[in-house]
Amino acid sequence: MNNAKELPRDVFIDVVLEELPRNPNLYFISADLGAKALDRFRVEAKKQFIHAGISEQNMIDVAAGLALEGKLVYVYAMAPFVTLRCYEQIKVALASMRLPVTIIGVGVGYSYDDAGPTHYATEDISCMRALGGIEILTPSDTRSVAETARLTFSRPGLRYIRLDRTFLPDVYGEGDRRFLDEGIVEIEKGKEVCIVTSGFMVQKARAVRDRLLETGIAAGVVDLFCLKPIRLDAFRAALESYDRLVTVEEHFLSGGMGSAVLEALADAGMQKKVLRLGVQDQYYFENGGRQHLHKLADLDVESIANRIRKFL
Amino acid sequence: MANIQALIDKSQWLRLELLNMLARKKKGHIPSSYSCAEVVIALLYGQYLRFDPRNPKARDRDRLIISKGHAAMVLYPILADLGFFQKEELEKFTAPDGILRLYADNSIPGIESITGSLGHGLGIGCGYAYGAKQDGARNRSFVIVSDGECYEGSVWETAMFAAHHELDNLIVIVDRNGLCIMERTEKCMRLDPLEDKWRAFGWKAVTIDGHSYAEILQALDLAKENRTKKPFAIISRSVKGKGISFMENQAQWHNKIPSDDQIAQARKDLMINCIVG
Repeated sequence: MNNAKELPRDVFIDVVLEELPRNPNLYFISADLGAKALDRFRVEAKKQFIHAGISEQNMIDVAAGLALEGKLVYVYAMAPFVTLRCYEQIKVALASMRLPVTIIGVGVGYSYDDAGPTHYATEDISCMRALGGIEILTPSDTRSVAETARLTFSRPGLRYIRLDRTFLPDVYGEGDRRFLDEGIVEIEKGKEVCIVTSGFMVQKARAVRDRLLETGIAAGVVDLFCLKPIRLDAFRAALESYDRLVTVEEHFLSGGMGSAVLEALADAGMQKKVLRLGVQDQYYFENGGRQHLHKLADLDVESIANRIRKFL
Repeated sequence: MANIQALIDKSQWLRLELLNMLARKKKGHIPSSYSCAEVVIALLYGQYLRFDPRNPKARDRDRLIISKGHAAMVLYPILADLGFFQKEELEKFTAPDGILRLYADNSIPGIESITGSLGHGLGIGCGYAYGAKQDGARNRSFVIVSDGECYEGSVWETAMFAAHHELDNLIVIVDRNGLCIMERTEKCMRLDPLEDKWRAFGWKAVTIDGHSYAEILQALDLAKENRTKKPFAIISRSVKGKGISFMENQAQWHNKIPSDDQIAQARKDLMINCIVG
């Protein structure tokens, strides 16, 4: 059941807004993406908000200039645009100069389901993961979104934060901060197999787990909150009891989360059988919504459960 | 008003220093550096730029970004001369134990930002200028872009942003040498009327002879006094390779390294100062 009352973006922006009185050096820049919380921000902190217009390249370079001036800067836009449209700006101006700028991408995966491929972010993990010195975080519920927002000012750094466009049901209980401490959390214990996923897909993995339990298979579910860097000790601790892993992502398989897991396994000296599930290597031009797209991509609960059964 | 004769002398000195750097290491972009040499000299020796070599990160300094990063070396002899780092560093240009690289970045004292990929410097300088305005500070941001760089769409995104936010503390100097790597800009893709383009984007704009100190100083005076709430663009008409007979206006010399004979010829050419006023 979906018990979230606030959208991830509103939760995030509200936390940043709360920080403002303590941190007048903070600037929030949007490339023409709004939010209810941003409407409040623009009224209460007019000076600290910049509307960059629909020009992501300039937004990133201006953010770099402000960060070089000692400001704590947030850049905010739809996920495909704040990553790919200004990718080289992020590389040159932010990553190479190691500036503490928070990049907030809203609408990862098929979040903008009705919009089509221009608005899908199914390459952002591979691309952003390739940059040097950037942290990539995918919060999976309201609490982890809020904690992620707090992290950006308690420990400033260059981060790409992947927010879903939709309401996210609870994953973590009050005060549970394991995702911050470890970057990877086993949220459901299992036996035969473990599903490794993140963000919106955590709910799907839970549904798959329920489906598999009907046929006596106990699948664990692991939330890979921090996609980069993966902390190998925590990674080993979360996954070593399983012989088989299934990675599930709303993203292309080339260089995505599944690839990151394979790399981490190699780096940790672990050997597991791995099944990688993600978006097929093509773009969909289809009406019908996110679940319909998942069906096409074999990422619906039934398809995932069947593929896991075969894998076992 | 700066002493023009002193600046003219610097022109000859700087060109020779740059040629020495090139001759020693067989690396560097001489023609692009020579086309903006007078502008850079005027900024740093003409008291247009506020800086403190002993405290290169002082809050109230003006910012200078050479966005045409391939010409970053034009700043090195000047920064050494002013005391930002040891003069010995010039000998170690591009060497493993040196701090000066072919393209500059902000690890080098006196350099404000990484550059090298075109179309970034103006946006970063704009961020500086915006931050300064917000803080009520008086410092300015000077950004030198190449004319070919104006092909980058990001330059015009920033041009719109800076005008909208009334950043009259932002000054762009377009080094209008008329050449990109392969050929003349007007043959590759027309840039003219370039001054009109900046004006249409909401900037104050003037066009000058980029090798005439009289015109450069006049334009910089205007830029400094500018309180129009418009950012200021100086289109600096220049000659790529100015001062070396066989390099002037020749696209092929962008990053070609001259032979020893050619370096000797270049040195001979530079014995007569190409800058007269």
